[in-house]
Amino acid sequence: METTAGSGQPHGVAFGASGNFSPDAVAASLARGDGGFGRAQETYYDHPILRKAHWRWEIVGYFFVGGASAGSAALASFASQSDDPGDRRLVRNARYTALIGSALSGALLVKDLGRPERFLNMLRIVKLKSPMSVGVYALSSFSTVAGIEAVRQARADGVVPVDPFGWIPPALIAPVKAISTALMASYTGVLISATAIPVWYRGRRHIPAIFVLSGVAAGAALQNVLLALTGPPTATSRKLEIVETVAALAEAALLLHYERAAGEAGNALFAGPRGSKLKTWTLGVGTALPLLLSLPSLVRPGAHNKPHRVRTLLTAACALAGGYVLREAMVYAGRDSADDPRAYLRHPE
Amino acid sequence: MDIDLTQPKMGFFTDVTLCIGCKACEVACKQWNQLPSDGYALSGNSYDNTNRLSSTTWRHVAFVEQMDRETPAASRWMMMSDVCKHCTNAGCFEACPTGAIVRNEFDDVYVQPDICNGCGYCVPSCPFGVVAVQPKAGVAQKCTLCYDRQKDGLEPACAKSCPTDSITFGPVDELRAKAQARVEALRERGTEVRLYGVDGEETKDVGPLNAFFLIPDRPEVFNLPPKPVLPSRFQPAAYTAGLAAALAMALVGAAVFRPSRERA
Repeated sequence: METTAGSGQPHGVAFGASGNFSPDAVAASLARGDGGFGRAQETYYDHPILRKAHWRWEIVGYFFVGGASAGSAALASFASQSDDPGDRRLVRNARYTALIGSALSGALLVKDLGRPERFLNMLRIVKLKSPMSVGVYALSSFSTVAGIEAVRQARADGVVPVDPFGWIPPALIAPVKAISTALMASYTGVLISATAIPVWYRGRRHIPAIFVLSGVAAGAALQNVLLALTGPPTATSRKLEIVETVAALAEAALLLHYERAAGEAGNALFAGPRGSKLKTWTLGVGTALPLLLSLPSLVRPGAHNKPHRVRTLLTAACALAGGYVLREAMVYAGRDSADDPRAYLRHPE
Repeated sequence: MDIDLTQPKMGFFTDVTLCIGCKACEVACKQWNQLPSDGYALSGNSYDNTNRLSSTTWRHVAFVEQMDRETPAASRWMMMSDVCKHCTNAGCFEACPTGAIVRNEFDDVYVQPDICNGCGYCVPSCPFGVVAVQPKAGVAQKCTLCYDRQKDGLEPACAKSCPTDSITFGPVDELRAKAQARVEALRERGTEVRLYGVDGEETKDVGPLNAFFLIPDRPEVFNLPPKPVLPSRFQPAAYTAGLAAALAMALVGAAVFRPSRERA
């Protein structure tokens, strides 16, 4: 053993050891059990092992808009079962929202990619192993269905004279719509969970569900804003508030469970200024405040507690702000987690 | 074009105990692949001013100083030329939504620059933090294992330039045999070394690496992850969570909006 350090081994004594070489010293050092060296090195100058994605506000915005669009489309499906005039208004608003939202989603993705034709590169193959590829087809089919339904709505509203998609049977659209909406709401969560970034993969059982719930809550809030802006309040506002409240509470519970489950690896999301912002906005302003504001009308839906326009707008604005901060914190936490070599070294799966 | 079924897997064997830190590999790689400079900033970390692999640095020589004040003779200075590992199960390859990342006929992971759309999903999907999007080109870039040179029967520029043969290139099977012999020779002489990327803990997810290393210390000392994760492994749990939540919300929505005279 003791002959290793200076006897022609290429990695042997190279620095600061001139005149000090002693086989016994090496043996003593090795005996300390620190790999032979006084200073055990845990990392390489604390350089990141992983690399962070370049994703910025475009992707945060896409995650938010895509989620709210999917939430809106889902609500339109549920409300289309009903003949209530308020529900009809919701369906109409939500159908247009889904189309505008999916167009905006595409625009944000193109902005991130740089040039429009780069989006087409993703349509040259179908790859179920890649959540990004799955997502591209989810977005494409979601947009297509949103377009067809918006045109049909426009035909019903007398905006367009004919329905060019009239020949497509509803039985074909319904399953495509269900699957693409569910994927649209969840795949972005799968996308970031299925990476090598510790804070993200540690949340793989939570993040996709949190994104779905956040998308539904944001969709319900957005539709409530549109309902309040386009006409008198109706019982539909209360239904939307119920959906929003259930989704937001489930989301908050999952977020707290995620924090517990992730432990130290979750620091990039839950500790420091980002954690404070997430808790203030998503849990406080986005969940607790809307709950307090809508509690009276939810608990005692009597005549004296009719949905109130200003209160509805305020509640919805809080929920939307909380939803945006969630997406933002989630995307940017991945950057910090990638930069922390210890998060990856200490918490392998 | 016909596929040559006799073409063996080609890769790198990088022996840390032979590296003298000359950085000829870094320079040769930059020259051959026409990669721009990274500037002249000093890191203060030994002689390593490159810091890490990047979209324009496909070989990076790490300088590990292990100084022992109590027993200076036990100090050592190690250099390791890091590179893309060309994993058997490559996270970047699985994540790529365009099919730009392929395995070429030499079994190396190659990014086709004309197909890549710069989405950047391969970047956080690489368990070694290798591949990166080059902002100006707007596409992901990394070591090609000198695909163009291999096509012409030449060895990659880094291996060609290495003056001590710390970097060797060849069929992976032959390299593994050679590496095993080297490990045994060093152990006989009392130096404890191990191979990284052949059959250790690190290959559980990503499989054997086509570019593997002989290291005289723990992997993290050289910025190599002891247990690199393969991201696609997390997909089943993630899809289940997402679709379960979607189903639950569908039930809530259907219940809240159920058509009934009393509610309407």
